[in-house]
Amino acid sequence: MGYDFFINVFADGAFAAVAAIGFASISNTPSRAYAACGITAAAGHAVRYVLTQASMNIIPASTVAALVVGLLGVFFARIRKFPAEVCFFPALLPMIPGMYAYRAVEGLFYCMGNASEAVFNHYMYMFASNGLTCVFIVLGMVLGANVPVFLLKKISFQATR
Amino acid sequence: MLMMTAMSTDTPHRCPAEPAAFVADYAAWMWGCGATCIRTQKNVSRMAAALGLDARLNIMPMHVQLAVSQPDGTERVYERPMHCHGINFDLNSRLSRLSWAVADGRMSPEGARHEFDRCIHLPHTKAVRVLLLASLANASFCRLFGGDVASMLIVFVATLAGFRLKQVMLADGRDMRLAVLLAAFFSAAIGAAGHIFGIGATPEIALGTSVLYLIPGVPYINAASDMIDRHYLCAFSRLMDAFVITACITVGLCGGIFLLGLEV
Repeated sequence: MGYDFFINVFADGAFAAVAAIGFASISNTPSRAYAACGITAAAGHAVRYVLTQASMNIIPASTVAALVVGLLGVFFARIRKFPAEVCFFPALLPMIPGMYAYRAVEGLFYCMGNASEAVFNHYMYMFASNGLTCVFIVLGMVLGANVPVFLLKKISFQATR
Repeated sequence: MLMMTAMSTDTPHRCPAEPAAFVADYAAWMWGCGATCIRTQKNVSRMAAALGLDARLNIMPMHVQLAVSQPDGTERVYERPMHCHGINFDLNSRLSRLSWAVADGRMSPEGARHEFDRCIHLPHTKAVRVLLLASLANASFCRLFGGDVASMLIVFVATLAGFRLKQVMLADGRDMRLAVLLAAFFSAAIGAAGHIFGIGATPEIALGTSVLYLIPGVPYINAASDMIDRHYLCAFSRLMDAFVITACITVGLCGGIFLLGLEV
């Protein structure tokens, strides 16, 4: 772990920030929230990168990263007066396991097209493995991001007051 | 199906039709713009209380029902279809602020209705800006998955073409699922350039990430959030919507791969 590692962490955060801002724009996020989305996504993704590099499984790593995203989301919501979701939903998007999601569906489709038991089992494994990973990553992320929202309920739900 | 009570203890019990209709409209737009069930309920609850309504909100996947108690002991139900025009965090933010303005007495019911009508008619972010930002975002996504610069460029162009097609089809009133399927097909076909022309060292990452901008991330997160709050019907509905869109992406992607005869 040296200079290269920190460069990688920084690059990971920077690209996650660009991804979050771009995906935020698709959901018509107010432009004054872009910076908050970018910073939050960068912090969350960088945390996940560090944890996965430290050999942590992607599911708990995503949950911990989402916790950071949720905390920053509530913090920015209070400062910039928008609902916490406006900040932390786009920030979570770069961590959405899209690749796992469509590989699971792909596995399901290939299952239907193959009569051979061995090939069928292979694609069923692909479906189940990717599908379960996807489900648990999303659940972990949502749980992690929502913990600060519920612990700091007064701030979260009164941010727009 | 969860019910909520928005009874105000310090306001007179009354049943004006217009505030109740307004609150029902508000709930339908709030949920439709992508707010979670808990936020929709909290906002509606505080507004109904401020307007002196004894109301219960019932959120279903396709519509909302607001049951308002009448002075004679009966109830009047206001049903509204969900206004699902895509995720809109700007509207979510404005409507949340509106609910507090009403609850804190900073806005009259008439003023609130006027502000609500103004908010729901505000224009979206410019299409060209969204197109460029989304393409940059997906190119960055490619880098996050380990793609090289050549792959990032391929993904940028693939997203630009696919997302533009989706924008044009949706503006033309085409079905969302068809638009996503064809956008995924186009993006995958362009994203396969690395494989076909031997560009870059990570063509498989370019192809895989070329369609990721279409993944319905917010509905997946909303579904899980609603599930945590025990709004199981809405959670399941949002999950199925997201699953169907994911299936459309997969069909488009596989279609592109098969048509180009790639071995991936």
